[in-house]
Amino acid sequence: MKIEQAIVLRNEQIAHGIWRMSLVAPDVASAYVGPGQFISLLIDDSWDHLVRRPMSIAKINEDEVDIIYKIFGDVTDHFTKKCPGDSMNILGPLGNVFTDYNSEFAEPILIGGGVGLAPILNLYDACEKAVMIIGARSADEHFLNHKPDNSVYLTTDDGTAGIEGNVLTALKNMNLSENTILFACGPEPMLIAIQNYADEYNIRAQLSVESYMGCGIGLCQGCVINRQNGQVEQHSYHEKYSLVCLEGPVYESHEVRFD
Amino acid sequence: MTDLSVKISNVTFKNPIFVASGTFGYGTENPKLVDISKLGAMVTKSITLNPREGNPPPRIVETPSGMINSIGLANIGVEKYISELLPIYEVMDTPIIMNIAGSSMTEYIDVMKKVEAVSSNIVGYEINISCPNVKEGGMEFGVDCEMTEKLTGELRNLTDRLLIMKLSPNVTDITAIAKSSENGGADAVSAINTVVGMSIDHKTKKSNIYTTYGGLSGPAIKPVGLACVHKVFNAVKIPIIGIGGMVSSHDVIEYILAGSCAVQIGTANYRDPGIAEKILNDLNDYLDEQNLNSITSLIGAVKTYV
Repeated sequence: MKIEQAIVLRNEQIAHGIWRMSLVAPDVASAYVGPGQFISLLIDDSWDHLVRRPMSIAKINEDEVDIIYKIFGDVTDHFTKKCPGDSMNILGPLGNVFTDYNSEFAEPILIGGGVGLAPILNLYDACEKAVMIIGARSADEHFLNHKPDNSVYLTTDDGTAGIEGNVLTALKNMNLSENTILFACGPEPMLIAIQNYADEYNIRAQLSVESYMGCGIGLCQGCVINRQNGQVEQHSYHEKYSLVCLEGPVYESHEVRFD
Repeated sequence: MTDLSVKISNVTFKNPIFVASGTFGYGTENPKLVDISKLGAMVTKSITLNPREGNPPPRIVETPSGMINSIGLANIGVEKYISELLPIYEVMDTPIIMNIAGSSMTEYIDVMKKVEAVSSNIVGYEINISCPNVKEGGMEFGVDCEMTEKLTGELRNLTDRLLIMKLSPNVTDITAIAKSSENGGADAVSAINTVVGMSIDHKTKKSNIYTTYGGLSGPAIKPVGLACVHKVFNAVKIPIIGIGGMVSSHDVIEYILAGSCAVQIGTANYRDPGIAEKILNDLNDYLDEQNLNSITSLIGAVKTYV
């Protein structure tokens, strides 16, 4: 992992409330391992907002690193003010990666919702073949096209684009096989629904989870998630909780518990 | 070349820039991002007798110019500290100060006894009597003069290494606890630990921290830390290691002027694990510019009006 002053190349709104930023960051890009990894950004040099913000990598193209972010507060609002040529301090690449998506016989289904699209798009680019489902509340939050012939499915809560319903509605109409692997990133209720679905049909799923991080590198011990097998002895360390920044953000569905 | 070395009791540190407990892990996490050997000392994350998972999430939230944490003393326990970390520290160039937390007098004593029983090169202990985030985090000691003096005395009997009591700002009179530490035989005090704080999400109406209250740190608490250090400086003769919201060499100078002989960089490490080294370089430049040979003349030298 590296800390780098990256230069903003592009920063534009690509759908309602959703932005894409391309950064020139040769050090971080050269250390990149694969889809699932993230970077952690500082807003600026001031200490008003001192905690870095983790953002999944949406694409790596030579020395460029792309992120996709949704405006949901002060900090992301600050991000939208960045112009080409501005610098941003980034730390990365961090975290682990999705696995087995190109293994023999694998039939990957990629599912992204809300802020969770970035790693899913990145993974889609890396997949030799895949089905992808992207969910949003309405058409104006989508920037891709619904193309069932290419195995790209959009869903909207209000039916204004693609399939009416959520990503689960679309997923339930997919043919599953013993080789199906679900890869998902999105809001926690969506991940819980996918976890339950994977359990019910006994299929493998890899979930990229979100967590509030103080540092992103294992120092602060802040970003924990419950492990599924939370039954531990009276005295233990990292058996009940897992550090998302080091062991995640990608987990096999059966490893983690959301509550 | 400026002499940045500082002496606490019989230990000389090559410079006054330490990293604070809990903000640098065990020093083995990110060797590539940091040159630990440049640090004056590393204070390792609080160790208890048994391993601890820590508190449920959420454990962290950003606040204006700061953050609140409630990790809950997650740690590997003293046995692993001895078997896995002490051998690593043996070959490190950086002086290690071991931070110990406990829920009872016996627990602090047991942990120290175990470490004293083996050979190691750690230079001292910092005793956490001020963790605000767990019921059994030692705060019952940190707010009580009698308990502080008794605990300090008991631990003093166990070790010839540096004994540093880490003080809480969440008390009526921090100078009273500092005096009790001095009376008990502490070589130094470190101040301050985090300030009790709370953060609420107005949209969800929920607390942002699982334990409701947590420890506020970062630049937001620098004025609190400075005041505490200055008060303690005027109350005791033993050295003070300043802690609280430092992010630059200017902050360090202010803490020294308030009465610190050394400082610990804490929350800033989360943002930039290499920041302590940068602060050290800037401090060197500052002293050169000021034509000062050492920081000794600056300790407690703040000019006050009254």
